[in-house]
Amino acid sequence: MFGRFLLKRIGAAVLLAFGIVVVTFALTALLPGDPATAQLGERAAADPEIVAAYMKANGLDQPLYTQFFIYLGHLVQGDLGTSLQSRNPVLTDLGQFGPASFELAVTATVIAVIVGVGLGIVAALRPDRPLDHTLRVVSLGGVSIPIFWLSLIAVFIFSTQLRIFPSSGRLNPGETPPPHITGLYTLDSLLTANWATFGSAVGHLILPALVLAAPMVGLLLRFTRSSMLEVIGNDYVRSANAKGLPPGLVVRRHTLRGALVPVITVLGSAFASLLAGTVLVEQIFAWPGIGSYAYRSASNLDLPAIVGVTLFVALVFIAVNFLVDVLYGLIDPRIRTS
Amino acid sequence: MKRLSRGSALLGGLLGAALLLSACSATGSTPSSDSAGGTLVIDKSFDLKTADPARNFETTGNILGRALYDTLVTFENGDSSTPIPMVATEWSGNDDATEYTFTLRDDITFASGDKLTADDVVFSLERAKNVKGNGSFLMAGLTAEKVDDTTVVITSEAPNTAIPAIMTSPTLGILDSKVVEENGGSDAEGADTADTAEEYLNGASAGSGPYILDSFDITTETVITANPDYWGTKPKYDKVVLRNATAETQSSDVVSGTAQVALDLGSDQIASLEGNSAVVISTTSSPTIFFLFSNADPAVSTISSDPKFREAVTYGLDYDSLLELAGDGAIRAAGVVPDSFLGALKESDAIVRDVDRAKAAVAALGGTPTVSLEYPSDISSNGLDFGPIAERVQANLAEVGITVNLSPSPVATALENYRAGTEEMGLWLWSPDFPDPSDYLVFGPGATVGLRAGWAAGSAPEIEDIAAQAAVTVSDEERAPLYEEFQTKLNEAGVFNPLFQPSASVVASSAVGEVLYSPAFGLDIAAIGQ
Repeated sequence: MFGRFLLKRIGAAVLLAFGIVVVTFALTALLPGDPATAQLGERAAADPEIVAAYMKANGLDQPLYTQFFIYLGHLVQGDLGTSLQSRNPVLTDLGQFGPASFELAVTATVIAVIVGVGLGIVAALRPDRPLDHTLRVVSLGGVSIPIFWLSLIAVFIFSTQLRIFPSSGRLNPGETPPPHITGLYTLDSLLTANWATFGSAVGHLILPALVLAAPMVGLLLRFTRSSMLEVIGNDYVRSANAKGLPPGLVVRRHTLRGALVPVITVLGSAFASLLAGTVLVEQIFAWPGIGSYAYRSASNLDLPAIVGVTLFVALVFIAVNFLVDVLYGLIDPRIRTS
Repeated sequence: MKRLSRGSALLGGLLGAALLLSACSATGSTPSSDSAGGTLVIDKSFDLKTADPARNFETTGNILGRALYDTLVTFENGDSSTPIPMVATEWSGNDDATEYTFTLRDDITFASGDKLTADDVVFSLERAKNVKGNGSFLMAGLTAEKVDDTTVVITSEAPNTAIPAIMTSPTLGILDSKVVEENGGSDAEGADTADTAEEYLNGASAGSGPYILDSFDITTETVITANPDYWGTKPKYDKVVLRNATAETQSSDVVSGTAQVALDLGSDQIASLEGNSAVVISTTSSPTIFFLFSNADPAVSTISSDPKFREAVTYGLDYDSLLELAGDGAIRAAGVVPDSFLGALKESDAIVRDVDRAKAAVAALGGTPTVSLEYPSDISSNGLDFGPIAERVQANLAEVGITVNLSPSPVATALENYRAGTEEMGLWLWSPDFPDPSDYLVFGPGATVGLRAGWAAGSAPEIEDIAAQAAVTVSDEERAPLYEEFQTKLNEAGVFNPLFQPSASVVASSAVGEVLYSPAFGLDIAAIGQ
């Protein structure tokens, strides 16, 4: 049963990935401007010999359909091509930038879940009280404050004025990264017992993670509150209360479990969006993640990198959706049974 | 009181320890900068692509290249008018500027221990030409030949008075030929495909400069360490971290002490730092020229190609208001050649706004001329975006009866039209490829930038004659007036309207002291603190 489900999902993912490659290739080709113009300098772009050499070296002298089939041929062998900017294999670049974004997104999500879900429960348990109203205003603020503004304010307060957190990068300037195990500096430094690097990695992670978590906190708070309020009125919750179960137990075992399904749906897509779309925060905090890479690739018409990032993002969404489906079953036995 | 579970206690303990460690990291690890032998952190918005000098032609790469590789000649102390000795102790050109002879020092060794000889110079220059990179045009028409171990002759197909200035470019840094060849390097024709040394050079330096490459990353930071065997004045800092940071981050970094030097602050940010005792600000005018052009090709636009339209634009622009927009430290561009270069026009020679004359020219055109102004919307230079400048141009020209429709687009797209010469009007900038006025002959009819403005060869014979004469004149005394005349005629033709040179500021922490901007390579890292 689960095997068939998994196979269907994998089949859909392969089809989706193929579609994404076709659409990304076509759309990038439709854009005005060519990669040689974007990459070469003023004088070099005016020299036909240099332009020709550049086009040939990067396979851009071939018709688009030929480029596409060559790309597909390489793709099935796990080769995403070479970035025109970094001149590294795109897979290497994704391997470098992906963990940085993942580390940031996971930390932001953990913060958001703890704070957002926690406050959502508190608000739902005391509906229409002053605390509830205050939290609703806070959540509205979290959702509506522009993230670039929040980033700049956070840097100004916590880095420039208070000097509590560093303002940019993943480690202190010139500090050697921990040995590459997972690419997550906090985890790698922990695994290698490199405490100074761990402290530095955590210090650099906190501020951008808090900024990224802010809108997610607002979102989760609102969803948790409304979902909890719906479930609290159900017969089985009232029965649990009537049986004299401790209120904390009723919330944990009965109310929260039922209320978490829509929250997890939101959490899943929010996490995937975080992983793929942290461009502004990554730029401001000089965080070398997928968002910055995507931005540079798009502005330089770096086709292999654009397709690589798009595929990566698509796969993240597919994986997260799959995980969300599995979590549904774990949280709500009714879904598992059906 | 309820007891904490073991998991909660462990989690709490871990979080507490992490926060403690992070607090230590944020406050206790600021690199030393106040004494010799420390670490210096420089914030720069990266446009880094490679550490291979022959393939580099970007600002960040030039800063790095200047630190890692020596060149035949160089500039110092922010000057860009007179090349001074570096690897070459002396040089001389023949009468028609087709041959320059350089005499080399014989006491320079590379980091590998190999001695620097004429073979290395020839290899490096020929390789830069044949890899067909962004900076290969510097060696176009030039050939380097060894005479003996300490003498190199550079010959040019056409008279080229700029050869000494060109040789200051970090793109033409001298490599250890033996090491580079061992790692896939080639200087022969076909090196664009045969040379595979870039990967090696992105991991190690094969130069004789004041610094050695420690680690290279085009997205986060690049670290260099002092070359213990450097033949010249030893640099003050043992380790320099060149770090990628946005202008917004740079400002807070340099104030908080996270970085000691910030290179990309705009005039607004500079103004906010005035009077702050924690920093020292060094401001000068950048050699970058912001300019406007009206396409001279009737096939592109019958309006912008009309001399009356160009006259209306030339005298309708309010240059003072545009300069005000560029902020403190910016200066009016009287011509296309920057003020610090030989042959630059004086500010008093600049076009002065004459609204009546501009309106009369519009009246002579008949009707209300409407044109489209294209510019890149997603890039900035010296902290200046193109959008506000374009809007000010629009407002200026509206006052004399010209309707300008703004047409911004991402730079990759805008460049396509610009380089194809199809923009009706364009707002762009030009930064010098090398500090010599001959680099600005590209604005003439039939030359690179002239063609982008639809100005074909033969369109203005008088200007073309002056340009041809300037290109082959050797003596500075004779060259200077020729370039002045060239620009005066360009201003009269009105195809190009030089607007201003923005300010270039370097902000350094007070412990480091004043750091000078270099018009030639952006920054001379080894000179900091000397």
